[in-house]
Amino acid sequence: MSSQLHVDKHVSYIKSLGENKDDLTYHLTAHLRMNAIYWGLNALCIMNHKDALDREEIIEFVMSCWDDEAGGFGAHPDHDAHVHSTLSAIQILVIHDALDRVDIPRVVKFILSLQQPSGVFRGDSFGEVDTRFSYCAVSALSLLGHLHELNADLTVQYIRCCKNYDGGFGQCIGAESHASQVFVCVAALAILDRLEEIDYETLGWWLAERQLPNGGLNGRPEKLEDVCYSFWVLSALSILNKLTWIDSDKLTSFVLSAQDPENGGIADRPGDMVDVFHTVFGLAGLSLLGYPGLDDLDPVYCMPASVIEARGLRKGWQALPRRAVV
Amino acid sequence: MASPPTLYAEDPAWQDVVPVPQYEGVTPLAPIFYTPEYKDATDYFRGILKSGETSERVLELTERIIKMNPAHYTAWCYRYKTLIALGSNLEDELRLTDVYCFKYLKTYQVWHHRRLLLQEELDFIARCLGADTKNYHTWSYRQWLLAYFNHPQLWKGEVRWVERMLSDDVRNNSAWHHRFFVVFAAGQGEQGPEVIRREIAYAKQKISLAPNNASAWNYLRGVLDHARVPYSTLTAFVEPYTLEHDKEGEASEDVVDLEDPPPAKGAELPCALAIEFLADVHEGEGQEGVRRAVELWKSLANEYDTIRKKYWEYRIREALATQN
Ligand SMILES: [Zn+2]
Repeated sequence: MSSQLHVDKHVSYIKSLGENKDDLTYHLTAHLRMNAIYWGLNALCIMNHKDALDREEIIEFVMSCWDDEAGGFGAHPDHDAHVHSTLSAIQILVIHDALDRVDIPRVVKFILSLQQPSGVFRGDSFGEVDTRFSYCAVSALSLLGHLHELNADLTVQYIRCCKNYDGGFGQCIGAESHASQVFVCVAALAILDRLEEIDYETLGWWLAERQLPNGGLNGRPEKLEDVCYSFWVLSALSILNKLTWIDSDKLTSFVLSAQDPENGGIADRPGDMVDVFHTVFGLAGLSLLGYPGLDDLDPVYCMPASVIEARGLRKGWQALPRRAVV
Repeated sequence: MASPPTLYAEDPAWQDVVPVPQYEGVTPLAPIFYTPEYKDATDYFRGILKSGETSERVLELTERIIKMNPAHYTAWCYRYKTLIALGSNLEDELRLTDVYCFKYLKTYQVWHHRRLLLQEELDFIARCLGADTKNYHTWSYRQWLLAYFNHPQLWKGEVRWVERMLSDDVRNNSAWHHRFFVVFAAGQGEQGPEVIRREIAYAKQKISLAPNNASAWNYLRGVLDHARVPYSTLTAFVEPYTLEHDKEGEASEDVVDLEDPPPAKGAELPCALAIEFLADVHEGEGQEGVRRAVELWKSLANEYDTIRKKYWEYRIREALATQN
């Protein structure tokens, strides 16, 4: 069991991910490739190692996923555009200050075309609706500086309909509250300056209730703890300014215990296989908890706080104070 | 290229079926005269009924009959049976029947057919949830299906079904959520004080079986908030859950209070969720109440729910601050 964060190991783990393209898992996860690169890059940013992956190479890859027919980004060069991979692409380009490579009006048009009459967004022109996609749209439009083109009232109206009796939010109207859906709805409302839609006390309590005696957080009552909820729950709590309700020491040691101390990376829980998804969200959680030596993360956009501040997009969230390296 | 035969009797692909004429062996007093196409198709359909065949060509045959006579009840029934036997795609079939619904709005059969298909889909989802009882996507698909088609027949069995899910696993939050969805949020629009009373009684009863179950307490709070029933009306029910097992009390447990069921014998007490509930009740009672609430919160912070110590300390600070 680790009592400290193995930054160097995690950096080399992330660097190793793109290297072995003959690996079966590389092909199995093609539909998440764009997201995975954003996760990896964001993880490196949190650890102050942004340059461990080659900037030009990453931008090249992002641009190779441009779907010229749709006007958005796919997850992989031969994939159709999707709102989730489009958001990841924009996040990567913003972090690397390379938005000038994109035909912004076309991306804006693509994103806006996915909004349904009910206010929710589809992931692509055929797919399902999901409040996650509403968040992707809101966040991407905001990063592109085109939020004013969105029908904000309609977007909020759908999110409002997804609010449940426990104060949380679900994937679509009628669906159960789930911590990751709570994050996307709360963060979308934060970007739209509509946090008054939230029942702070009930939701804050529901989020605090996610912590289990072993320190880990779960996504719904009576489910297992999982490292990725360190981000979904903590980000929502920091947007509500209630992060202090969490037992930060216990959660920190839970996340640290899920590291692979030899080869780097973080798993969903101790003893499981690591992956880049749990690595970035474990690190994101630690950053919000003020873990020493990490960079500040913006919980609304899940990107480096300095990048968001520089664009004038910072909202009124609050993380725990950064502790000094001992 | 020759155009496909219009009659099954001339179609080599149907040679193996023995057509059964309608009035075989009897002479009707008032025979109905059908078009040759209709007579041909129904003769072959009766042949299929006899052999019990379920296949793609039966779908084609029943579709042809339904097009000519959408009120042909047996054709619809047999079509449904065939679809199920073949495991056909429900959405395709719904789309196909969309056309008939618009064309033959007054035909009862087409609506019944759709309802059967949807019922089958609900049963299918139920089987999926039997294998993975908390699968988020399966649950939300069921909720979508119910709300989208929004038919009383579909809603009818939901409360009973979700009750079975909860008696299998009283801690299944998805099932609790679904119950709220069915009874209050979308559902059959059940209303009135009896429904509220029934749901409060249901939650109490489930809490008594397993008191340390956040899903049931959240449901109870949800119902109370929804119906604007003050929490204080439940003080008598909640109090026994906030205490340690009382030796004398347990002896008199055979006097069962149906209104306020006591905690199950083996339950771990005191129950933090009950203490929290009782503290909320006291907080609303003014100065003396706040003092009692603070005591309860302290017990949560220091003993019964230490992982959320910071939260309970926050509640104490807030309550004392608003009092001054
Ligand atoms: Zn996870």
